[in-house]
Parts: sequence; structure tokens; C-alpha cells
Amino acid sequence: MTPLLEVSDLNISFPRDGAPLVPVDDVSFMVSPGELVALVGESGCGKTLTGLALPRLLPRGAVLGPRSAVRFDGTDLTRLSERELRSYRGRRIAMVFQDPMTSLNPVMRIGTQIAEAIHAHRKVSSRDARERVLALLAEVGIADPPARINAYPHQLSGGMRQRVLIAMALAGQPDLLIADEPTTALDVTVQAQILELLDRLRAARGMAVLLISHDLGIVAGRADRVLVMYAGRIVESAATAQLFAHPAHPYTRGLFASIPRLDATTTRLTPIRGTVPRPDQWPDGCRFHPRCPVAVSRCLTQRPPLELVAPDQRAACWVAQGAAT
Amino acid sequence: MTRLARVGLAILTLLAAFAIVGPWIAGDPNAQPDPVNGSLLLPSPAHWLGTDQLSRDIFARLASGARISLAVAAIAVSVAAVFGSALGLAAGAAPGLAGRLLQRLIDLGLALPRIIVLLVVLAALGRMHYVLLGVVLGATGWPAVARLVRGETLRLRHAQYVAAARALGAPPARVLWYEIFPGTLPAVLVASTLGLADAILLEAGLSFIGVGIRPPEASWGGMLYEARDYIGSAPWLVFIPCLALVAATSAATLLGDALRRSLQPETR
Repeated sequence: MTPLLEVSDLNISFPRDGAPLVPVDDVSFMVSPGELVALVGESGCGKTLTGLALPRLLPRGAVLGPRSAVRFDGTDLTRLSERELRSYRGRRIAMVFQDPMTSLNPVMRIGTQIAEAIHAHRKVSSRDARERVLALLAEVGIADPPARINAYPHQLSGGMRQRVLIAMALAGQPDLLIADEPTTALDVTVQAQILELLDRLRAARGMAVLLISHDLGIVAGRADRVLVMYAGRIVESAATAQLFAHPAHPYTRGLFASIPRLDATTTRLTPIRGTVPRPDQWPDGCRFHPRCPVAVSRCLTQRPPLELVAPDQRAACWVAQGAAT
Repeated sequence: MTRLARVGLAILTLLAAFAIVGPWIAGDPNAQPDPVNGSLLLPSPAHWLGTDQLSRDIFARLASGARISLAVAAIAVSVAAVFGSALGLAAGAAPGLAGRLLQRLIDLGLALPRIIVLLVVLAALGRMHYVLLGVVLGATGWPAVARLVRGETLRLRHAQYVAAARALGAPPARVLWYEIFPGTLPAVLVASTLGLADAILLEAGLSFIGVGIRPPEASWGGMLYEARDYIGSAPWLVFIPCLALVAATSAATLLGDALRRSLQPETR
């Protein structure tokens, strides 16, 4: 299948005195139409910046590398002007942000905000827009849309607000929805509902979803593929079942070991030693080597490429690649 | 709403009603029924608040002055709010050089001493209709509003919901008008309500100096100006307009403070 989104050598740097900070370093991945891909990593690993870079919503001062390409449906978005990009934002690629408390305008009724997202892309009468808003609210599972359409954000719960944000994102009928930590700010019970909703919408609309999360557990049942990011690089990319059955990268294995399991007999979790280094202190070679239990001398100096270690599974790890060949 | 805010709102409402209805029931503020025997009279059933040195009815002049003084202040505040908001939004949203130039323009406006500019302009323009006076006062009051709105615009530009709107492809003009502009309104409303007290005092001061509302037209400041020679012999001529000024300005301040507390709790 031709990919909907093909990111290659995505490199985001912040120039400063001395060496520039490079929080996203040559990240490449693909998303096929209708696929749910999870991008997983600890905070500070560059996953949010990666998501923002796709519709080019990078913070001021961020610079894309010259070889970076974000090909969406055949078009390299990094080469488009700001005006051309606007026809992609919302209509082809939509985003849902982490915090539903602050992502809605507090002084606008939710119906108006969703209608605004519709008006941003096409000329519609306000009556038609209202019909669309009601349909969208129903689609994202908000009970009694005619009663809710005039509510202000502060009158809704966190889960409801996230549903409203998803409705806004759906207004342009995007082919790709980027959801940046959509459930992190929510209660655990609501998290599952929101993920369920995203999964249902993708099936109903054939929409691809890039789900950015720090929580490997929540992506388990939903994602087709998982990308694991560490210190600005993708260290493992695999089909979800394969990743969960046989994690190849020591970092991925560390992540699994630090998740509580109901079926395990161990009483203590095994954390990954140390912390994620800051972007200005990333080591040479494999960036995980100072924390890696199996690192060999080669890991200290040579950067491991992301290579196949099993069918449907790539890992950027010299040890895993050595075991595979 | 606190009790003090209710008091402030009630006083302002009463004064506004007085300014609208008063001149109709009080008669001609410039009539001089009996300049020889009827001047400087104490309050009586015929003249509720007494008469001034020219035998003019003080209640009628107070009512007429209320209409003029409050209208001038309201117009001044409105003009400053509209003009200042437009400029502040533009300065906060315009990228690069244009934004910096607009910011310098606001700085320039803030640097000019308002009262001196007004003295020069009003002395040069001479007698004018009170609506025009309100516009002139407003035309010198915009820099403070513009600075405030620029700051709010810069703050709101980084709000998550503005980023969300951009992410959904909203063009910059729509983002500015639908997402950012409504967010600046609370600050403008608070500043304008508090500014109402300033504008009332400014008009009174200018009229007292003689360059604002000029005799024989009545304004509260002008009444003080005309009464200053009689503070010993007929002190109520001074007290009555003073009382009106104190009531109006403190009511506006009370209401403005209450609005600030409820609309901008973070600045408390």
C-alpha cells in the first residue's frame, strides 16, 4: 500500500551559541491510510515536536534540517508556503492536543468553536454548519447534542471537552489525525473511552491516526504499529503484536519491565536505570548506551541504524541486529 | 458580585438616569430669573439646591452638567477602547517590523503627557460641542488601552486554543478575530470602567481650567470654576458639584475593581 504519510530524515534543531540543540534527529517513519500508529517515548524524547512538525506547527526558532521531508499524499509539506499549508491543516491533517482544559477557547460556546472549524475550510451557511456540528457531536459520543451545542467549555467535564476537540478535528474530514497525548490529562476510565472513540472513528472514516503517548500500556490494544522514540531518535518500529511478544531494543524491554502487570508473579518492577539525558548532553553512538544493560563497546561510538531484526520489526540496536544475523 | 460593587453599579445607574431625565424636569440651566434679588439663594422648594451668583437654578445646572460630564467621559472611554483595541491587536499580531513599528507608536503615545497635549489642542480648537470634546479626550486616551491589549494579544497568541485553531487551518485573520480578540475584552472592560473615573476627573479638571466645557454651558468642573469665588459665602455652590464628582468617580472605581476581581482573578 502506498503510504499516506512518509516522514524521512526529519531533523529539528534549535540554533544557539555553540552546537545547536537537535531534539529530533533524523526520524523516519510511514503511516498508511487508515492505520493507527503509536509514537511512544518518555517526555523530552521529541515525540511532540515530531507530531508538530508534520503540519509544520513548530515553535518559533525551530529549524528543519535540509534533508527533512514530510511527504503527505505525495506532496512534500516542508516545501509548501504557509498559505498552501493551511489547505492541509485541518482538512488533510488534523491535530488533537494534550490538554482539553486549555485547548478550547473559554469564551466561545462549543458549537461556535466546532462551526468555526467547519467555516475555516468551506463556505457553508450557518444552518448547514449547525447541522454538521450536531452530527459531529453525536459522532464523538456526546449525549443530547442540541442541549450541549450552546455549552461553554467550563460546563463540560475533561472527557467531554476532549470529545469536543476531536469533533473540531473531524470537522475538516482529515485523512490523518495526530493525537498528542489525548488521554494524559484524563481519568483512567475516561482514557479508555477516548481511545475507543479514536479507534472507532478511524474504522468508520478510514482515517489514519498517529497516536502520540508516553504510555505503552494504553496503545497495546489499539495500535497497528508502534514506534518507540528515545532521545530524539526512533529506536524500534514494529507491528504491535510483534513488539509486545518480542521487544528487540533494550529500551523497549526496559519500558515493558517497568509497567505493572497483572499476570506476573514478580512483586517488584524493574525500572530503567538513570534518566533521559537532556538534549545538550546526548551521548555519542547509541544514545541509550549509558543506561543499557547489554551495551558493547561498539555502542559507545557508532550510531546504530534502524534495521530489520525480524519480519515487521526494526530496531536501532547493534546487539539486537547481531543476534538477528 | 460584592455589596460594594452593587453600590457602585446603583450609583452609576442613578447618575445616568439623572443625566438622561434630569434636564427635562429641571428646566433651563441658563435662565436667570432674578439676578438682583435671587442670587446665591439657599435650597428652597422653588430652587431645590439653591441658586448661583447669577440666580441660575443649581439643580438644573447639576442635571445639565451630569448629562454633559458623563457623556463626555463615556464617549472618551469608548473612543479610547475602540481605537486602542484595534491598535493593540494589530501591534500584538503583526509580525516583524510592522509589529515593532506599531509598538513604537504606542510607546510614543504613552510618552506624550496627556494633559499638556490636551491643553494645547483644546486651547487651539476653542469652544466645541461636548461630543467632540469627548472624542478629543478619547483620542489621547488610547495608548494605555493599546498597551494593555497588545500585552493580552501576545499572551493569548501562545494559548493552547490558539495553537489548536491554527492546527485546524484557521487563517491568521480568523484566529485574531474569533480566538484572540474576545479574550482581550475582559481586560478592556475593566480598564474602561476604571478609566471612566479618570475621564470624569479629566473633563472636570479641564473645564475648571477653562479649556473644557466653557461657560455658560454647565459641567461639573465648570460649576466649580464659576463657584470658586463664593466658597466662603455660599459653600454649597462648591460642595454640590464636588459631591457629584466624588459619587461618580468612586462608583466607577468600585465597579471597575469588582469587574477586575471577577473577570481577571489572576491579577488579584
